[in-house]
Amino acid sequence: MTSVVDAIAACAGVRDRGFTFVSGKGPGVDLVLTFDELGAEIRRRAAHLRALGLRKGDRVALVVPDGPDFIPLFLGAIWAGMVPVPLYPPLSLGKLDAFMDALVSILRIAEPRVLATDARVARVLWGAVGRIPSIEKMVDVKDLALPAPAGASDEREPIDDSDLAFLQFTSGSTAAPKGVMVTHGNLKANCNAILYDGIDGKTPSDDVAVSWLPLYHDMGLIGCVLCPLVAKMSAVYIPTLAFIKNATLWLETIHKHRATLTFAPNFAYALVTKRAKPEQIARWDLSKMRGFGCGAEPINPEVMRAFVQTFAPAGVRSEALLPAYGMAEATLAMAFLGIREPLRTDRIDAAAYHGEQKARPISNGANSLEVVCCGRPFKNHGLSIQDETGRMLPDREVGEICFRGPSVAAGYYRDEEATRAAGMGTSGGWLRTGDLGYMVDGEIYISGRLKDILIVNGRNYYPQAIEWVLDDMAGLRKGSTVVFSRPGKSSEEVVVVTETREADLASLRAAIAGKVSDEMQLAVADVAFVAPGALPKTSSGKLQRRKTRDLYLAGKLVKSGTRPSSTRLLAARHAAVALVGRARHIARGWFR
Amino acid sequence: MIDVVKLFKEAALEVDNRKLDEVSSSSIITQLGMDSVAQMELVSWFEERLGVRIPDEELSKVRTISDLRDVLARLLPPGTQIAA
Repeated sequence: MTSVVDAIAACAGVRDRGFTFVSGKGPGVDLVLTFDELGAEIRRRAAHLRALGLRKGDRVALVVPDGPDFIPLFLGAIWAGMVPVPLYPPLSLGKLDAFMDALVSILRIAEPRVLATDARVARVLWGAVGRIPSIEKMVDVKDLALPAPAGASDEREPIDDSDLAFLQFTSGSTAAPKGVMVTHGNLKANCNAILYDGIDGKTPSDDVAVSWLPLYHDMGLIGCVLCPLVAKMSAVYIPTLAFIKNATLWLETIHKHRATLTFAPNFAYALVTKRAKPEQIARWDLSKMRGFGCGAEPINPEVMRAFVQTFAPAGVRSEALLPAYGMAEATLAMAFLGIREPLRTDRIDAAAYHGEQKARPISNGANSLEVVCCGRPFKNHGLSIQDETGRMLPDREVGEICFRGPSVAAGYYRDEEATRAAGMGTSGGWLRTGDLGYMVDGEIYISGRLKDILIVNGRNYYPQAIEWVLDDMAGLRKGSTVVFSRPGKSSEEVVVVTETREADLASLRAAIAGKVSDEMQLAVADVAFVAPGALPKTSSGKLQRRKTRDLYLAGKLVKSGTRPSSTRLLAARHAAVALVGRARHIARGWFR
Repeated sequence: MIDVVKLFKEAALEVDNRKLDEVSSSSIITQLGMDSVAQMELVSWFEERLGVRIPDEELSKVRTISDLRDVLARLLPPGTQIAA
């Protein structure tokens, strides 16, 4: 098996393939780096990092928006045995405070010695750097592209499988950020599994990949940079922001480069289906595509079918859809549907699913759920369904999805408790994914989630972070707000349930939606108000998020303005009647 | 005459199917209930409609609709009439 460092060494002399960077600045000349050139760029960055005094195992934070800067630097750090920590750059409208707080809390855990960024981002990061004692230096990525200082070695660092390759932080929230420790052995196992098992590829590869995914996201980085590097597969990168602003650029690029593979979350398929114009569909040839990978968030089969239907005239076939299941704790991927198989779904009885935790097949009907098949686990890896005690469940029984094999990450950085709780840190153990699902004949179906996480547009959010944002709002009771997601068409949707005594619910609803979109850049799909004390709590008074969600989805949440007020009215009447009775009793006594 | 508030309402309706009746130039864009993807699509709608390109680094400075108007004013050809 080829490791990432082996793959970097093998770049030398490969001049007929490489990475292309589409310019985000509008139509212009794309930047092309052959693998041979990329290898030289990587070595130069490695020498620069060593000249800064960094050694094997030292962390380097990367807040680098542009691919041509990010990729050689990330790989240069890996080549030199250092541990890059890729982070979200600030690229959204308005407010920087929330971004900076999240960044600072991550960096305090990662403790990098150097932070690399570009001149534009540096202007806003200065404030944060002062809050991280470990950072000795902030460097401009452009300086690291200059000829390396004389005397600094650009040779590969001796590395073995258990050495840390990089830290993948799984959420932008300030709520105890968790850094997944990805080792060189993990990367080797997962990249090879994806390439030779998942997509049935070869090296050097004749596939062409296209990606607009952020490079600091596991699917964008491992799936779309490291895998192509290992297989010497040509890849084309679109700046994420350019895709978000104009989703059709994604398919335009696939068409232009006659690409064969791409990966994206469900929401992107919904977005591009909505945005493509008939003249584009008529002009595009997407028939070379053999893998429209879909992962990172729940897959809505209706979105995928609409995508195939819309782009069938351009040559898209259902066999090209590639549902995938993965998570950062598994390095990236755990299972793919067979690369040549069409989209396949399982229709099950909703009542049996919710009531008995069983996935009983049912023919079409109103009370059914449709679940997408994500295929088999990779070779040398295993998936199982377990109950909370760790007992293995048989086919079609719903439980927690567990995964084992050489792709399971070494744990969370400096968090032994969370590492143990997730089943990581021991060789051969089962990673508890926190996802709910079931198996049928060795294939996995993901049907729900145990863990409290919202996945919106492919990005993970902790509900606590959103609840905290609302905690201090006028009209809401502190510690009495619950946030969760419900399935939506293109991605998950945010629901807020909160206890209040306010009468003007419409204004309060608008204020909540405004605050969440302002602080978190999330749209709130629904706000449900309940009477004080109506949210389900544990015996110790902790809010029960899952139970609230179950009640909400089942339509059984007692909302303000409906039953609670009439209950209160009844109670008042009871009290009044009792008082009157007592008064009469007393009066009778007096008059007796 | 370019009326950014009026265009903003048109964009929100087209991009996010969102009817914004009570927005003014002082409205804070991120508080209008749209998610980050819809906000960026809206920016792109303006770029396409007005034939300009807003540099990425300008985006973090845009908070209100009047901020957006100011950024656009700098990018539009000199002499373009823009409503206050």
